[in-house]
Amino acid sequence: MDSIKGKRIAITGLGIFSAAGKDVPAFTRALLAGESAIGPVDLFDVAPFPSGIGAQVRCFDPLAYFSRRDAGKLSRVDQFGIIAAGEALRDSGVTQHHCPYDIGVSMGAGASGMLQSEQWLKQSLAGRRGSPSLLRGVLPDRTATTIAQRYDLCGYQGSITTACSSSASSIGWGADLVATGRLKAVLCGGSDCLSLLTFSGFNSLKVVDPAPCSPFSLGRQGISLGEGAAFMVMEDEGEARRRGAAIHGYILGYGVAGEAYHMTAPDPTGGEAARVMRQALERAAIPAEAVGWVNAHGTGTPLNDMVESKAMKLVFGDRAPLVPLVSTKGLTGHCLGAAGAVEAMATVLSLKQGIIPQTLNFRGADPDCDLDYCHRGARSSDATLALSNSFAFGGNTTCLVLEKG
Amino acid sequence: MTPARNDIVITGLAAISAAGVGTASLHDAIKRAESLLQPIPEDILGESGHFWGKAAAFRAADFMPPLKARKFDRCSLFAVVAAGMALKDAAIAPGSLDAARIGIVLGCGLGGLANAEEFLRGYFTAGSEGLVPMLFPNIVPNASASNASIEHGLKGPNVTVIQRFCSAESAFLMAKRFLEEDRADVILTGGVDEVFPAMLKSFKAMGQLRSFGSGFGEGAGLLVLEKRGHALHRNARILARVGGVRTIGRFFHEAYQAGVDRLLPEPFSAELVSLSGTAALDHSLLDRLPATSRLDSGRILGRSLAMGGLAMASLVLMLKPAETGLHLASSPEGPYYAIDLYGGDPVQS
Repeated sequence: MDSIKGKRIAITGLGIFSAAGKDVPAFTRALLAGESAIGPVDLFDVAPFPSGIGAQVRCFDPLAYFSRRDAGKLSRVDQFGIIAAGEALRDSGVTQHHCPYDIGVSMGAGASGMLQSEQWLKQSLAGRRGSPSLLRGVLPDRTATTIAQRYDLCGYQGSITTACSSSASSIGWGADLVATGRLKAVLCGGSDCLSLLTFSGFNSLKVVDPAPCSPFSLGRQGISLGEGAAFMVMEDEGEARRRGAAIHGYILGYGVAGEAYHMTAPDPTGGEAARVMRQALERAAIPAEAVGWVNAHGTGTPLNDMVESKAMKLVFGDRAPLVPLVSTKGLTGHCLGAAGAVEAMATVLSLKQGIIPQTLNFRGADPDCDLDYCHRGARSSDATLALSNSFAFGGNTTCLVLEKG
Repeated sequence: MTPARNDIVITGLAAISAAGVGTASLHDAIKRAESLLQPIPEDILGESGHFWGKAAAFRAADFMPPLKARKFDRCSLFAVVAAGMALKDAAIAPGSLDAARIGIVLGCGLGGLANAEEFLRGYFTAGSEGLVPMLFPNIVPNASASNASIEHGLKGPNVTVIQRFCSAESAFLMAKRFLEEDRADVILTGGVDEVFPAMLKSFKAMGQLRSFGSGFGEGAGLLVLEKRGHALHRNARILARVGGVRTIGRFFHEAYQAGVDRLLPEPFSAELVSLSGTAALDHSLLDRLPATSRLDSGRILGRSLAMGGLAMASLVLMLKPAETGLHLASSPEGPYYAIDLYGGDPVQS
């Protein structure tokens, strides 16, 4: 049987379009500087909700990227996805080297084109005839199909929809597709955008912080929503080296599991979160001692942050206080279907830059979160391995093992 | 080819569809080959002449207390009930196997959208006072698989997949891979979907009711995939063996034939082919299977994004021991799947 263990899966292309940066250089600068992208949201009316902030992509003019005709056909999520995917593919140069049937797209999706579709519903309920084009992106698989068409990626198209772990799983699965030899290269990642559905939904559950989210801090009240897209190109290391590709990092393995506990709450012991982290390490054949730091799911909700801290202790034991657990959601917001990819990107870039990023918006030490969260600022690090956790509604958990290139 | 211990086999099935609840009603419907689609009530679309395959015989109250059923959306109800039926069919009793070694990888196309529409309708008609928080957790497409995992204690890999009309097949590929990688011993896979009025209205608005949006069905078709060695060890009945799973994302216009070759390499033969999604319209693929008996469950039960689960279950039910079957699925913009299944288990039988 072929296994991810048998091949080193290299990351040869990176692309991102987010509130914290509209390309990799800009995102890297924000990551290094610790500049939060969370601010007022004006994509729709947020006045009725306790929180009116989020990490919205600002000053976005689709016509700077697309023809008027194309822009009209593409949802905001499709547009983000195409832009980020394009950057990753150009960075890797992979499409010049392989047959289109040897390259695929594996992506994680979330609310997708809901921002447009909810306008159609609103108009329909008001007795007006909404434009059918508003409905084009309502299904979460639309973006993968659109990207496959645009870039002639003909080997595979698939979308994972496990809420907040979608795009982390899509990266693991993309690496699998290369490891099996099924494909030479896979574009993996996710795209998602703010929508009234998710904004009102999380507010109705009272899990949105009225101030910018402050993961692992005392007095944190929940998430700040975000939007964006991030993609990576995965290839077999040998193939990548043969064609002279630059290697940004590696995915050594991943864990994927179901907590089977509760639809919206994590197993409070941290045991289930720890299980998927251990599984990822086992799949990567890496001892826990080799891990330099962990990019947390770190949403900023009181329970999730406490549970993830418990999981760290179960995985790393006495060494847990020495393994920084950082959340980049204070920078990017919680990008839902794209969160796992955005955070994997932050992890790869941080390893490459030799830093551990800062967990932003510190409000004070919480006795229930008693590990090292890098609250005081980014720090330099010679770590070569990091984990990236993604824990979702429904108990869908994914953990990626990423190595410096 | 002699089956090996690390082959992947199918040891259980479950079906909920317009044909009824259970695999016996599905088997009968496929053998009769008569359409079970019913007229969509005129008040839903404001016009007649459209058909759907509602799982009208399915009553959640037959399987769980009404209060419990209320917390699930319809797709989750299908998934929870079908997962229980599939495990029972595979003779996997609750708690008999390590929970972490049983996973669920499910295709789900339209799950969550009915709840999303109801949630937003509350907001658009009554403002923030109209929001019903209880609806929100089940707006996510993974609600079906996750609710099934919670109800049946499945702690192995848990993934929900969607890709056009090939959502169940996409899940099948992933489930098989997870077993081959030893991430689990048993994985429930297949598809679940529902049809609901707002979806049909959106199809109408997009002008799709007379093309790819016509004749939609709903239900669940689940297959229990298992490592053959594991199945033999527990003396499980083996319904079919899984062969190759081939896929392409889309056809490349400059190399169309190469795409056909990847899906159906020549010489290709199968005794029975099941068609799902828009495969019945893909003559370039069907031309490679001129003498093969065809089974079009979508015409009988209705199509949907993840109804390939029911089509694959139908194929397994119809295959005789050692007979070679092919499941062929496609979508107008891709992807395409070709899955080889072999009836029974020649060594075991």
